[in-house]
Amino acid sequence: MVPIGAYVAVSAILFVTGLVGVLVRRNFIIVLMCVEIMLNGANLNLVAFAHHLDSLAGQIMSLFVIAIAAGEAAVGLAIIIVVFRGKIATNVDQINLLKW
Amino acid sequence: MTFDLNLTLSDLLLMLPELWVTVWICVVLCVDFLMPRMSQRAIAGLSVAGMGVALGFLLWYYIEGTNGVLFKGMFVLDRLALFFKILVVGVSLLVLLSSIDYVSRFSFFKSEYYFLVMMAALGMMFMSSANDLLSVFITVEFSTFGFYVLVAYLRDDLRSSEAGLKFFILGVFAAALLAYGTSLVYGETGTFIFPTIAQGMAHMTPGLVVGWLMIFAALGFKIGTVPLHSWIPDTYQGAPTPITAFLSIAPKGAAFAILLRMFFSTLAAFKPQWVWLMIGVAMLSMLYGNIVAIAQRNIKRLLAYSGIAQIGNILIGMAAGTRMGADAVLFYLLTYLFANLGAFAVVIAFSQTTNSDEIEDYSGLNRRSPFLAFAMLVFLLSLAGVPPLAGFIGKLYLFVAAIKEGLYTLIVVGLISIVISLYYYLVVVKKMYISEPADPTPIKVSGVLQSVIYVGLAGTLILGIYPRPFIEYTVAATTIFSHLGAVPVVTTLP
Repeated sequence: MVPIGAYVAVSAILFVTGLVGVLVRRNFIIVLMCVEIMLNGANLNLVAFAHHLDSLAGQIMSLFVIAIAAGEAAVGLAIIIVVFRGKIATNVDQINLLKW
Repeated sequence: MTFDLNLTLSDLLLMLPELWVTVWICVVLCVDFLMPRMSQRAIAGLSVAGMGVALGFLLWYYIEGTNGVLFKGMFVLDRLALFFKILVVGVSLLVLLSSIDYVSRFSFFKSEYYFLVMMAALGMMFMSSANDLLSVFITVEFSTFGFYVLVAYLRDDLRSSEAGLKFFILGVFAAALLAYGTSLVYGETGTFIFPTIAQGMAHMTPGLVVGWLMIFAALGFKIGTVPLHSWIPDTYQGAPTPITAFLSIAPKGAAFAILLRMFFSTLAAFKPQWVWLMIGVAMLSMLYGNIVAIAQRNIKRLLAYSGIAQIGNILIGMAAGTRMGADAVLFYLLTYLFANLGAFAVVIAFSQTTNSDEIEDYSGLNRRSPFLAFAMLVFLLSLAGVPPLAGFIGKLYLFVAAIKEGLYTLIVVGLISIVISLYYYLVVVKKMYISEPADPTPIKVSGVLQSVIYVGLAGTLILGIYPRPFIEYTVAATTIFSHLGAVPVVTTLP
């Protein structure tokens, strides 16, 4: 049996990978992917804890997280398409009409 | 483990306002779909009527003092929840009204706009009742989804799309923090429900600290405090102005409902640990918001930065951590509602004629429309906290609550930030009253917008001159925090 600490470590690695990606990468689609990685880290944690604590609540929450991540991807890609149509750019640096 | 919810019809009555809004949203959407020839104004009227009925339900519940718990503690209805629901529904009513003229200029998707506004309002109504980390996550995302689309609604205007994109990136980032923080707290305590979590936390472990910090950061994104504030100016400037007004009050109010439940009930035993967090965030928000606001040339950006500072002010009440502090938070949100919504209504009315949000173009507004200039004067002075307007009483209440807890440094920073804010508000006032207008044509204000501005004016003046009934109203809402000490005002509500 794999100890709970191993699951938590993997989920922390996933979360930090996503976090660094969001902060470092400049392409919107990759930023969106990194957020999905962060959410999946949370999911792994929830499922592992649910099994460890013998409580179903965590598994139920992970289903909701998956559903909301799907909704986020849909809305986010739609917004990216609108921006792309107006201005051929998917990089954060090139979107700079609004500042100060 | 049982799955018996023991749900009866009378339990569902606790959710009646939400169920009503859900049904009404479907009705509005179907009416628009089945009768494509129906005018945009009729759809707006339908939406306003539906939200008006919901407001009626909520006020009735408030007077009756209806309370209860649904779904094993996930959904709680008490006066605190009802207070925030009334706030959210009231704001969405005023936003719907001030949108009517704005939306008529759209070339596409006119009625879906109202649908999305009501959807976001529904999410925030559920947020006010969330008493469980799972429902916090779902309701926060539910309400934010509507806003993502609404902020980017003007698809021919690149600034709107850009605002939507920036809002979206930080929004999903906050959602990930919320989910991960929730998973950590769940791992340590084995439950999502706030009261049970409180029992499960004997002392703070590293996992709990990181988890709660992440949850606080995610809610800090919603209210727009300093670490996660960077979306606010850009989003406020680019979004359709009625949506900016909506975004500047309703989600913040609903997030404060969650923050109050979290910090004042669940984490009440750990106040010595989190009070420093609140003090730090409050100081940074007040100073940052007010100092950067000085440099602004666009009225929407100015109000955005002043909004960051106003949230810093509200956090003074959170830092106090007493029932009086909670009370001051609620009362300040009311004063902020009227002044901020009124100011944005003036901005909408002004840009309708002039198509501009630049402060430079407000020169000589008094010559062009004395009504708009006077209304803006009252709202800005109330935001700055000048007596006898509502903002003064609100700030006084917050400061008294903090003084009782001995938070003198925080008070000093608060007073300094008020002085700074007075400067940039008065710059706008000077432009309106002393400078000469470049184009002296009078500005016409439509009847609906005028009524919204009158509501703002009435609220700002009444809360400033005769605040007693409203303070009683907020005191009744904070009875669930009676373990945190008394309030020096006698309540008359049953």
